[in-house]
Amino acid sequence: MSADLSRLLNAIGLLGISTVLTLAFIDQLWFKDLPCPLCILQRAGFFAAGFGIALNLIFGPKPSQYGVAIIGAIAGGLISMRQMLLHIVPGTGSYGNPVFGLHLYTWAFIAFAVIVLGCAIMLLDDRQFARAEPMSVRLKALPLSALLLFLTLAIANVASTIALCGGGLCPTNPTGYELLETTPI
Amino acid sequence: MMSLPFVLFACAIGAAWLRHRGIAMGLWAIGLVAMLVLFRFHATEVLNIGL
Repeated sequence: MSADLSRLLNAIGLLGISTVLTLAFIDQLWFKDLPCPLCILQRAGFFAAGFGIALNLIFGPKPSQYGVAIIGAIAGGLISMRQMLLHIVPGTGSYGNPVFGLHLYTWAFIAFAVIVLGCAIMLLDDRQFARAEPMSVRLKALPLSALLLFLTLAIANVASTIALCGGGLCPTNPTGYELLETTPI
Repeated sequence: MMSLPFVLFACAIGAAWLRHRGIAMGLWAIGLVAMLVLFRFHATEVLNIGL
C-alpha cells in the first residue's frame, strides 16, 4: 500500500468517526436526547482516537500515530463498556433511546472496537511507512475536508459541553442546558 | 471542567495542523489523562454484576 492510499483510507476513517460524532449531535439537538457524563466522555474518546488518524493525514502514516488511535479507542471503549455493564442486568434500566435495537453506548463500544481492528489491519502493511519522497504538505480535498470537519466538531463539542454542564461536572441525568437556565433573583 | 478534554483535543488538532507534532502529542496526552480522571469521578457506583 502506498502512503497516498494509506492517507486516503485514513481520511475515510476520520470521516467515519466524524459521522458518528455528527449523529450524536443530531440525537442531542433534533431528538432532544441530552448526553449523560459518560456519553460525553465517550465522545471525547472518539476525539482521542481520531487524533491519531488526523496525525496520519497531516504527517503521513506512522506506526506511532496508529498507536495513538488505538490507545484513544481503548480508553473510549473502557468508558462505553462501563456504561454497558451498568445496564447489563435485565431490569437495571438504560440511558437514552435505542437505535436499531442497541443503545448508543453499545454502538460506541462497537465503533471503538472497529477503530482498533482497522488500525491493526492498517499496521499489517509496512510499505506505507517506507516512502522515498517526503510527504506533500498540501492536503488533497478529502483529507482536508475530513480534518476540517473533525476540528469543527471538536470546537462544537466544547461549546455544547459548556452549555450543558457549565464550568463543573455534568449532572448524572441532565434535564436541560445549565448555562441557558435562568436563575431566579 | 467536562469540556477540558475537548478543549485539549481541539488545541492538539490545531497544533498538529500547524505542524507542531511534539506539542500536539503533549496536548493529546494531557487530554487523555483529563478524560480518564473525569471518568474516574463519574464511575462511582458499584456494578451490580458478578465477574
